[in-house]
Order: sequence, then structure tokens, then C-alpha cells
Amino acid sequence: MKNKHVIDLLPAYIDGVLAAEQQEAIALHLKDCELCSEELNAMKTLLKAFDDEPIIQPSTALKVNFYDALEREKIESTQRQTATPKSLHPRKKLWTMVKVAASIAFLISAFLLGRYQNLSATNPIVSVPKSQQETSKTALMLALMDDLSASKRIQGVTTVNEFEHPDETIVNALIERMLEDQNTNVRLTAIQVLMQFTSSETVKNAFVKALKSEKEPLLQIRIIKTLVKIQEKKAIAPMRFLLEQKDTEPFVKEQLKSLLPTIL
Amino acid sequence: MKKITILLVAFLINLTMNAQEYTKSLEGIEWVKIESKAPIIVKTHSKKDLMIKGGSALQFPEKAKGLKLVGEGGSDNTNVGFYVFKEGNNLIVRNLLKSDNGNAILYLPASQKIKVKSEGLNDMEIEGFSNEIEASSEITGNITLKNITGPITVNSSTGDIEVIFNKVNQSSPISISTATGTVDVTLPENTPAELSLESTMGEIYTNFNLSIPDKKGLKAISAQNIKGSINNGGVKIQLNSATGNIYLRKK
Repeated sequence: MKNKHVIDLLPAYIDGVLAAEQQEAIALHLKDCELCSEELNAMKTLLKAFDDEPIIQPSTALKVNFYDALEREKIESTQRQTATPKSLHPRKKLWTMVKVAASIAFLISAFLLGRYQNLSATNPIVSVPKSQQETSKTALMLALMDDLSASKRIQGVTTVNEFEHPDETIVNALIERMLEDQNTNVRLTAIQVLMQFTSSETVKNAFVKALKSEKEPLLQIRIIKTLVKIQEKKAIAPMRFLLEQKDTEPFVKEQLKSLLPTIL
Repeated sequence: MKKITILLVAFLINLTMNAQEYTKSLEGIEWVKIESKAPIIVKTHSKKDLMIKGGSALQFPEKAKGLKLVGEGGSDNTNVGFYVFKEGNNLIVRNLLKSDNGNAILYLPASQKIKVKSEGLNDMEIEGFSNEIEASSEITGNITLKNITGPITVNSSTGDIEVIFNKVNQSSPISISTATGTVDVTLPENTPAELSLESTMGEIYTNFNLSIPDKKGLKAISAQNIKGSINNGGVKIQLNSATGNIYLRKK
């Protein structure tokens, strides 16, 4: 203890809470140890500074303001409480419950109705209700193009022939049939109808796209002929590609060989 | 006496062996979709369900006793080599056998809508239906439709298509197409129809008198694409081929 510095014990020493022997030992050490004595003095100065600092009392105005604010808060919270459902008049409570029950009932019935319609075994295009018959041909045509029956889809597609300037939705529906329909005959009919609207950029691009994706030789030929007829330059590259493909039918390649050079 | 008994027993066993049948109710079914890599015949019967008769050639080898036939599309749940299951309001009927051993005859009510797909090198024969038929042969396979009314959509890549109509259903279009096969269609003479016959490299033959619409007194004549009506027009019938010939006959 004598050879060690006592800095750690200084705070306790200053407070005088150490055992008598320890206090004496530290006092003796401090006589000889400059380092610890300096430390002691520094601590004492610091403590004195703390003691001398006056305690700042908040002004009385602060006290008043605080109590005012507290009062206001009390009033407002009671007001809020009166507005919550907890303190609703029993009749209002009942009405709210009815409203909640009604919305739940509505949700359930909507869900059941949806499920029922799904399970219904009949064709989704059930007999067209009168109000729909009155609406434009377009809606009926789009519905037909989506029918489960391939024959009806063909019917929907061929009806477009009656339009001189079909709008975008119809053209897009036709393009979808040409590119995506599972039934070869539906795709074929879509190609035939779209052939009349090749002045449109959208249709031209669709034909180029069809050339790249169509695998049925009969349809490939129809698409190639259409593209050659409209002299579509964008078709040249995919046509060359088809020509090189192993699985392209020989008679399709024949058509390509004879028609490709005609796209100037 | 012993000989007769043995013969009788053998005969009975033979009968039961050949009477491999499977029946399934068609309640709630709108479309029956048949898929097969083996030759298939679809006929009508007066009952209201599906019946599959395993072909007389259908023989499960002795070693397969106690085992189940499995195929790419499922496992045999009918004991006649088919996997049958319901998908929404469709009944999927999948033939798991691959070769002539898988010859089967399916019976359905005449008013059933059917889709038949040949996925192998197999032919298909469909007879007697009065509702919509969708028939397709993906690789090579002839398609024969007899005694039907339509509407039909038929496509074959390399096979020949032969269709003999009963009375042609006027409600929605008929479309038959093939890449390299021939299209041979027979219609009753008085069928009202609007025809479109198109062949890229094949010839078109018919004994119908087509009223070909004329523009300004000129009749459109093209070896490749013929449009005309018979009996003052009616349901749209289109026949298409790439290299095969088209034959349209009167009945």
C-alpha cells in the first residue's frame, strides 16, 4: 500500500469514510507522494467548485405555466373520453354493432357468391343478359375471343372483319389470339383477319413476332407470305434464321428461299 | 365331360379378361379431354357416363401383377391403362400406353363436348357426336371424324384428315387445317355454308357449285384460295392446307 498510489481511494478519503488505519496510511503516503497530493488538490478544487455553484431555481412563472398546462390537459382528456365509444349511449352502441355485422355479412355473401360462380358447371359466357346485348359489339366480340370453345373464339375473331377501323383493344385481342391461342385453327383465323390491317405498325410488329414464335408450318407460310406482301424489312433477319433452323420444314424453307429475295 | 368343363372355364376366363372396362360419371363435366399416344377410337353410347374398353390386345404382362402402370402423365387408376381425373369442369382422360397395345375404345354420350389430342404417331377415329369436337394430331396421325354435326376445329401436322358430316351445325364456325396431309370433307348436299378453301401448294377439288362473289362482274378465280357460298350461305367452313390437296364432296 505504501508503494502504490492511492488515487483510487482519494474520493473516499476526502469524504472520510475509510477505516481509521487506512485514513492514516493515506495521509502518510500523501506527505511523501507528489503525484497523489496534486491529484488530491485537484479533486478538492473541483468539489469546492461544485459546492459553490448556486442552485438555479425555476422562476415562479414557470410554476404557474406548468399548472395551467396541466389543467388544460386534464380538461381536454376528459373531453376526448366523452367522444370515445366507451362512453357511447347504449343505442348508438347497438347501431354500430349492427353496422359491423352487416359489413361482415356482406363480405361473407360476396365470397360465397364468388365461390358459387366458380363452381357453376356452365360456360362462363352464360346467356348474354339483355343489358349486355344493348352494349357495343366490341364487348361481345372480346368475350367470344376468350371463350372456352375454339369454335366460338374463331367466331369472335371473324366478326372483326365487319369493322373497318377496329380500335386498339380489338386489334390487341386479335394479336393475342394469333400469338398465344392453343388452338392452331384459331391462330390461323387470327392471321387471316389481321392480314387486312397490316397498315398498322402494331400489326406489322406482331407479324414479325409471330414469325419468330410460330412452329406450325402451315401458319409459318401464311405469316411469311403476309410479311413479304407488305415488304416488311424487319422480317428479313428472322426469315434468314428460320431458313437455317434444322427443324423448319423443307417446304417452308422452299417458300423462304423463293420469297426472301423479293423483299427489296 | 372333363374336356367340356375345361373348355367352359377357359371360355369364361377369356370373357372376363376381355371385359376390362372402366366407367366414370360425367356429372358436372363440360369438356372431356382425351390425350393419347396410342391409336384411339371414340364412339357414342346411350349411357350418360364415360366408358373405356381396353383393347383386346390389352394385356398386362404376368410380371406386372400387383404393380401399377405408370406413365409420363400419371399412373393407371382405371385398370385399363388410363389415368382419369377431374380438373374443374373438365375430365382429363390420359392414355398411358404407348403402342398398339394401348388401342382403346372410349364411349361417351353423343352430346358431350370433346377434345382429342394425339401426341404420338397414332391415329384417331371419332364417330357419332352432335356437339363440339376439337381434334388435333401433334406429330403424325390421321384424324377421321364420321357421322358428326360439329362445330369442329381439327388440325393435323402431317396426317390426313377425313370428315363426314351428318347435318352441319350452324351455330359456330368449322375450321380444318393441315400442313402436309390431305383434307377430305363430305357435306350433305343441302348444307347452307360459307366456304373458304385455301391451299398454298396443293390442289382444290369439289363437286359443289360454289357461288363465288364477283366484283364488278369479274369472278375471283385463284387456284390457291377459293371463297364461295353454297345454298345461299350459312355457317363458315374453312379448309386449309399447306402442301396437301383439299377435297370437298357432296353427300
